[in-house]
Amino acid sequence: MFKSKELNRIFSVVLQYASLSAFGLFTMFPLLWALSFGLSSDGSYAYLFPDSFLPHVADEAGGYGIGATLVWFERVFVEIPFSVYFKNSVIITTLAVVGTVVISVLAAYPLSRMRFFGRNFIFVAIIATLMLPQETALVPNYITIVKLGNFADWLQLTLTGSDAATWKKLIGMNSYLGVVLPGVAGAFGIFLMKQAFEAVPQDLIDAARVDGATEMQILWRVMLPVTTPSIAALAIFTLVNQWNEYIWSSIVMRAKDMQPLAVGVFNDLTGPLSGSQNTLMAAIVLTVIPVLIFFAFTQRYFISGMDGAVK
Amino acid sequence: MASVTLKNIKKNYTKDVCVIKGADLEIKDGEFVVFVGPSGCGKSTMMRMIAGLEEITSGELYIGDTLSNDIHASKRGIAMVFQSYALYPHMTVYDNMAFALKLAGTPKAEIDQRVKKAAEILQMTHLLERKPKALSGGQRQRVAIGRSIVRNPKVFLFDEPLSNLDASLRMNMRVELSKLHQELKTTMLYVTHDQVEAMTLADRIVVFNAGVIQQVGTPLEMYENPSNLFVAGFLGSPKMNIFEAQVVGVEQSAAVVRLPKGISVRAAVNASTAKVGDKVTLGIRPEHIQLCEENDPEGIPARVDLTEHLGDIVLAYVEIPGINEIICAKLPSNMTGLKYGDSVRIKFPEKHSMLFDAEGLAFKRVRS
Repeated sequence: MFKSKELNRIFSVVLQYASLSAFGLFTMFPLLWALSFGLSSDGSYAYLFPDSFLPHVADEAGGYGIGATLVWFERVFVEIPFSVYFKNSVIITTLAVVGTVVISVLAAYPLSRMRFFGRNFIFVAIIATLMLPQETALVPNYITIVKLGNFADWLQLTLTGSDAATWKKLIGMNSYLGVVLPGVAGAFGIFLMKQAFEAVPQDLIDAARVDGATEMQILWRVMLPVTTPSIAALAIFTLVNQWNEYIWSSIVMRAKDMQPLAVGVFNDLTGPLSGSQNTLMAAIVLTVIPVLIFFAFTQRYFISGMDGAVK
Repeated sequence: MASVTLKNIKKNYTKDVCVIKGADLEIKDGEFVVFVGPSGCGKSTMMRMIAGLEEITSGELYIGDTLSNDIHASKRGIAMVFQSYALYPHMTVYDNMAFALKLAGTPKAEIDQRVKKAAEILQMTHLLERKPKALSGGQRQRVAIGRSIVRNPKVFLFDEPLSNLDASLRMNMRVELSKLHQELKTTMLYVTHDQVEAMTLADRIVVFNAGVIQQVGTPLEMYENPSNLFVAGFLGSPKMNIFEAQVVGVEQSAAVVRLPKGISVRAAVNASTAKVGDKVTLGIRPEHIQLCEENDPEGIPARVDLTEHLGDIVLAYVEIPGINEIICAKLPSNMTGLKYGDSVRIKFPEKHSMLFDAEGLAFKRVRS
């Protein structure tokens, strides 16, 4: 009896680990493949399964053995202005994360906790934008950004009398804000934060109100701290999306020195005139690493924040 | 400290949904008043309106001499303790208690002194650095009370503060709240659906039902002289026994009524407004029902259906043949011999019998 129970237990644990590992490998394999490709001395083994999952290095005799080389990673920094792209990506993503969180929180709080005329209509209208494919927004957003740039130009000319066209660089084409602005007021963020705020017990808000907090103080000192997990989730989603975003950035950022990693790496390292695929793979791995690091630091915020508040 | 005065307060959620149908009440300075009533009777809504968390549809609310209808919750000089405690989970006990004072811009030294004093009163100085999730239910409730004490409010509002605690803790906290009231001598309003809490804590009880104040009075007054059937049935545990009856005789200081099967009972009430033949309701509390000897002419034959031995008393549920209601009698603890199926004779003493008219309003009791 004991034996079979023990065997059952071992069997079920093994099965659990095996399926989880298989699932992990399945989701990881593109990255593993890219990593192995990037660490190999050339592409000879890149398309041979399963050898492609381990990096291979050519030896002096002309054969191949398992090994790793960082030569392609060094090439990335030589062939393309990786650090410029990286800096642009960091700036754009930071602006996007901060902007999205601020706007989502400020929009979601009244939608979830205040009563005003047209509240439901506004919320439905925001959610309705989720139904449209993002591509439909490309043309209107493009025209808006171009006009915003022209407006900034005109404003500068009118207010300062200068025709240096420097203000345009803040908000028009080839500007960081131009990439970020259309995305910050996203329905997803507002929806996520609205749900999070609605889960906060009404008593907690009433208690703060009786304690003398204004609406902004309730939001800042009570609501935000207890919804940290949702804010962290929103920040991570936005970060990953913005870091990897390609189409809109490639439309707005024509100037090479303003392009983020996704655009720069694609433009420089793919296509008929590109260098080796190993460099591309190394660049892809370098592009993904910051996101992984950020996730490692923020995942601890994904724990529940409401313990002990009520009951 | 302040009085609280309600003048014809009404609350509508929509045009048709009226939850408070005009309440008038005067709560004196320093009084402990308990709002009691079944779920959905409007007592919590009433308290939330006094707190400033619900808008008042019409009527006037005075806290002290100030018309407070449109004053923000934080400016009314009230402090509220919620059923769910509503502690800020991300703050320590100390910060929870200091939050209101910080928002009001109180100097740090004074905050410290007031928080520590409140913690001392509630004997929780050792908990100040903990977060709410590291506290037990009773401790959390203490923090919630402490949070309201530090503000030195004119009026304390308690919204079912003990309902999440277990029975023994609830009793301890009840005693502590009573002590707290004696110590602080501040006006306190307390909402509960537990009539034992109401009876034990209140200087005066306000019984609500369906958005209407049924009766206001001291606990004993309400218990002895309920103004209507609802109050009579709501206060007291086990509930008052009630029977459909018909008036068969009206005397100067008593009425004679007949229960089904021709059983007559005398009640010491002034029933001068009643006529012979009126339908009335007879009420008698379980502790007033007496067992009597076989040969007692007033004894009504009955049969024991169930007994519950509670240690200090015995609850006997008896049935009179021909009358559908099960009657509960509270008997002394030495009546342990009663068992299912026993035949007994019971008596409804005249001076303890109450009578209510067809609308449920009580006839005034006559005391000899």
